[in-house]
Amino acid sequence: MQSLLFWAAVTAYALATAGFFLGLAFEQPAWRRAAHLVALAGLAPHAAVIGLRWAEVGHGPYNTRYEVLSFQAFLLVAAWGLLALRSANVRSLGVLVLPVAFLLMGFSVSTFGLKKEVPIIFKSWWLVLHIGFAKLFGVSILLAACTAGAFLWRRRRPGALPSLPSQARLDLYAHQFLLSAFLFLGVMIAAGALWANQSWGRYWGWDPIETTSLVTWIAFGVILHFRVLHRWEGARMAWLTLVALAFALVTLYVVAVMVPTIHNSYMVGS
Amino acid sequence: MLWRTLRSAALARAILISLAAFGALGAWAPWVQDGGPPAPAWAVALRLDHPFSSPWFLAGVAALFASTFACTWGRRGRIAAVRRGELPGTALRLEGDGAALRRFLEDQGFAGAGPVLRRHGLALWGGWVLHVGLLVLIAGVLLQQVLHDGGTFVLTEGEVRSLRDPGAVFQVERGPLAPAQPPDLSVLLERFDPERKQAGYAPDRLSQLRLTGEGGRERRATIDRASGVDVDGVVIHQAIRTGLSLTLEIAGMGTRAVALQKRTAHEASAEVRDQGGRAARFVVTTERALDDPRGPGQLLVRLERGGETTFLTSGAPFDFGGPPTRTTGVRRWGSFTYDRSPGLPAVLAGFAIILLGCALLVFPAGVAVLPAGGEAGQAAVHVLRGAAVLEGDWRALTAGSAPAGPPG
Repeated sequence: MQSLLFWAAVTAYALATAGFFLGLAFEQPAWRRAAHLVALAGLAPHAAVIGLRWAEVGHGPYNTRYEVLSFQAFLLVAAWGLLALRSANVRSLGVLVLPVAFLLMGFSVSTFGLKKEVPIIFKSWWLVLHIGFAKLFGVSILLAACTAGAFLWRRRRPGALPSLPSQARLDLYAHQFLLSAFLFLGVMIAAGALWANQSWGRYWGWDPIETTSLVTWIAFGVILHFRVLHRWEGARMAWLTLVALAFALVTLYVVAVMVPTIHNSYMVGS
Repeated sequence: MLWRTLRSAALARAILISLAAFGALGAWAPWVQDGGPPAPAWAVALRLDHPFSSPWFLAGVAALFASTFACTWGRRGRIAAVRRGELPGTALRLEGDGAALRRFLEDQGFAGAGPVLRRHGLALWGGWVLHVGLLVLIAGVLLQQVLHDGGTFVLTEGEVRSLRDPGAVFQVERGPLAPAQPPDLSVLLERFDPERKQAGYAPDRLSQLRLTGEGGRERRATIDRASGVDVDGVVIHQAIRTGLSLTLEIAGMGTRAVALQKRTAHEASAEVRDQGGRAARFVVTTERALDDPRGPGQLLVRLERGGETTFLTSGAPFDFGGPPTRTTGVRRWGSFTYDRSPGLPAVLAGFAIILLGCALLVFPAGVAVLPAGGEAGQAAVHVLRGAAVLEGDWRALTAGSAPAGPPG
């Protein structure tokens, strides 16, 4: 049953991705609207499969690569889908958001069958805040990167995809999403520190992911300084937003896979 | 000159990039990883064996504090002036009819009765609050480190110890202004289960403690690795290490627990001095692996001393260089930590102020000043971001078309 629901969601995202590409290529707004609805429809089986796995293993989606990435894809599509209900500008970004969600689903399925108990330190309300804001951080930086990517695309070929928002608006959206990511990363770090203090009596231990999170937050701070103090905007900021995405991916996924850390369990793949 | 240098954006940027680079290298250095190799000689010589307590890192943090302080100082007046409508020269200029400008700006989220309109006026303070939060956090961490002390202790099931007993606590960390002695706290480990299964979680340590603080106040608590217990400002946490413990009963001296350290998968031992001061070694060999969740199975206990080996039987007396001694059993020891951190609220205040500043930054703040008397003229608009979009929307509106956007 879970497998069926999972593939139903993947199929919906794949169809929606195709719909957006075709809708943009052939300038068919109706196709984009339909693709948006298909993507939203895909959220239903996706939510169901997340709920079923939750009920089966007895914990939320935060303890294996499948659970983590699948839930990240769900939140990404949900956040974009809801924002797109309010703004046709944001809807057009589906052409970049949905392929990312599709790829996340594809990466997650490699550990679909893996089910593991969570360690006792997960018995804390800080977990909800820490992981919840980690997810929001992931969604925000992915949206920022998609928007920055759209900006660069638009800049290189201004006439290719007139349905995308204007460059100035894409630049503004990317900045707004980056600021949200900065906030959510900050809350994630603070909630993690408070959680560590509750469990181990120390709020900071220079664990590789703790440190990388802090480095990423500082890197975001530097990038925001360029924007605010030096009035950097446009292509330079779009590239820096993609650099911010690289930092975020290292923090969220790469370190947990490559380095022994107290956070290894959430990306465990075998 | 120094003040101007400290206030410069280039210095702030250089400090942030240096700290980020140092942090990244420090986090990935092989010798700081669990089970990693020892720090190489060059790292020790440069005092980089513990990167985040090295003078280099501390100097970087001090520089960040100084730069942040200089950048934040005096900025309050400028933000207040902008909020009052004294806009900087970089403010956007929109020309048009006063009423139309007001309507347009109100559609963009600006509000106000007079000529000065504001959008999320409080959010103008976001950057300033964030920088103040950074200062509070750095100061708070310093305070916390100076006042903090903590250490580790082990207890065998049934054993009671005062943390002030000589040798009771080890791996002690103590700030320069922390109390000289461990806390006046006595801890009895009533029950300990190293593999306790709690619903929904993997098996882990669970301890039932009886704690007696200053003045004889007693408290019982059950703790696991998810959360500790706070007794008069001393927080006791369950630590992960555990092992076997040999309990000795020495005539006239009561019982003593000897914590054994794992040597191989099936063997644990402890180096001790007997009652006569001779070096001795207790060794326990187990049928199953020491970490087997089912327990270690059959045990064989021996005492090695001066080239002789004596196999010990529970309850039977043996020569331990003094009064009659016997073993009364092999149990489990658990490890615990204590922490006193009176400066922690300052750290938490820093976190809270930083997050408040970040949250304010998310709101797109702005201030607009309309032409006097509501007549046609030039409105000045200062927004923290999105000036180009605002200008484009105004141009599109005054040109008679809707703002640019996709049809669907």
